[in-house]
Amino acid sequence: MIRRIFLTTPSHRLLNWLIPGLFFLAWLGVCEIGLAPPYLLPHPKDVLATASSYLFGDAGQTAYAGRFFEDLMASGTRVLLGFGLAVIAGIPLGVLSGRLALVNRLLSTTINALRAVPGISWLPLAMVWFGIGIKTTVFLVALAAFFPVYLNAEAGARQVSPTLLQAGAMMGVRRLRGTFAILLPAAMPNIITGLRLGMGISWAYLVLGELTGVPNGLGALIMDARMLGRIDIIVVGIILIALIGRLCDVGLHQVLRLSFKSARRIS
Amino acid sequence: MKPRLEIVSAEKRSTTLPVVLDVEHVSKRFAVNGSGEISVLEDIGFTVRRGEFICILGRSGCGKSTLLKILAGFTPPSAGTVRLNGKPAGRPGPDRCVVFQEDALFAWLTVRENIAFGLRGRAMTRLEKERKVARFLSLVGLTDFADYLPAEISGGMKQRVSLARVLILQPEILLMDEPFAALDAQTREEMQDLLLRLWSEMSHTIVFVTHDVGEAALLADRVLLFDRAPGRIKEEIRIALARPRQKVEDDYYALCRSITAKIKAL
Repeated sequence: MIRRIFLTTPSHRLLNWLIPGLFFLAWLGVCEIGLAPPYLLPHPKDVLATASSYLFGDAGQTAYAGRFFEDLMASGTRVLLGFGLAVIAGIPLGVLSGRLALVNRLLSTTINALRAVPGISWLPLAMVWFGIGIKTTVFLVALAAFFPVYLNAEAGARQVSPTLLQAGAMMGVRRLRGTFAILLPAAMPNIITGLRLGMGISWAYLVLGELTGVPNGLGALIMDARMLGRIDIIVVGIILIALIGRLCDVGLHQVLRLSFKSARRIS
Repeated sequence: MKPRLEIVSAEKRSTTLPVVLDVEHVSKRFAVNGSGEISVLEDIGFTVRRGEFICILGRSGCGKSTLLKILAGFTPPSAGTVRLNGKPAGRPGPDRCVVFQEDALFAWLTVRENIAFGLRGRAMTRLEKERKVARFLSLVGLTDFADYLPAEISGGMKQRVSLARVLILQPEILLMDEPFAALDAQTREEMQDLLLRLWSEMSHTIVFVTHDVGEAALLADRVLLFDRAPGRIKEEIRIALARPRQKVEDDYYALCRSITAKIKAL
């Protein structure tokens, strides 16, 4: 009963923001009391001022003023390209590997070995291969996002009950059509989990990819600010990435729900 | 829709009507981890005529579900042949439809969409399809639940959907794998009544697997009694009880007792 009230009234929406709110209050408290000096933890009001200048200021006014949309576009493009590549490769390979023992044999050793390599170890190699710039970032994002997408698609496809496929076969649905009419919808909850994890990781690896040598992007912003000792900008960058990451997650889920019955109804 | 056949007596059905399903010398062996093979079915042979209701009765583990999978085309027999209307029955298809024991509905489709699933790609107008689906929804009494998802309806209703989605395809033969075994007693009786009503109206040919003696005696024209593993047809029992049968009559109980005695003697 209590649970029902919580989940059906607007109060449960507020619940989403309870922890961020408390976090903010703690931050405010620490700064007001003076537990941490501004060069370690800037005051929220300074961060807010920096953020508003970064987001809405006129370009050239100060070092970072008005750069947000340029950075967002640069980072957004890299994330979408990298994540897109991961999806294009990850879902078909994952589904094939989940259903066909041969494909699984072929891929699983390689993929599970590569998965154990931390993403950051690829950075030097990627820089040698692709130089400094968008290609390196996209490569790192695609590589990192591939594994959760692939592994969850594989698990989803593997777990589809053979009875469902038999039911399809007896109703005249052959393999190819059955893949789209039965296999993918039945595996949809897992596929969605993989996509959401992959999207989250994409933003994490974006910052890694932008660590060196690119002039724009949210990761570049943070690294740049670190070298200039602008901790307020670093905090702004972190908060923006968190917000954008959350928005992307919600957006992705909504797009899937709008596009697929199975996403709407069983996950 | 097939023309409505007149009600023919079980006797007549099993001697004069054409043979739909012909099973000859079917056996099935499975490889077991390292230790060779086990034989699940041995030399199964029987025929089913149009409109007949056959029950395959046996204890669990006697291979009766495996036989049904072979009839449906899901697994090939190790030896022997299955013919449908004289032709070898190959891959699974809408001519041999299965009602599974477990829930095999598509969870992301509504009741209506599940029933319409097999009509995809058939040469019918949308309106024809809609009408047909509506008719089968009402035949199984689910008109009011057409837009529910499988997760939102009861076990009995799910089996009604399973039945409707295959009946709508007008299969040559209906294969049922303990379809009511997971239901509570009351729902099971309702489903048995529903099945008999549809069968008497539309004269399907049915092979029904069960381990329930009472169910076999209530439903079947003929019962194929399976031996313990490996599965063989131990005896064919013709059920001469007049229809509609009642579970309260003395000869029904006498029959159940005699079949039960035979099973115990295996």
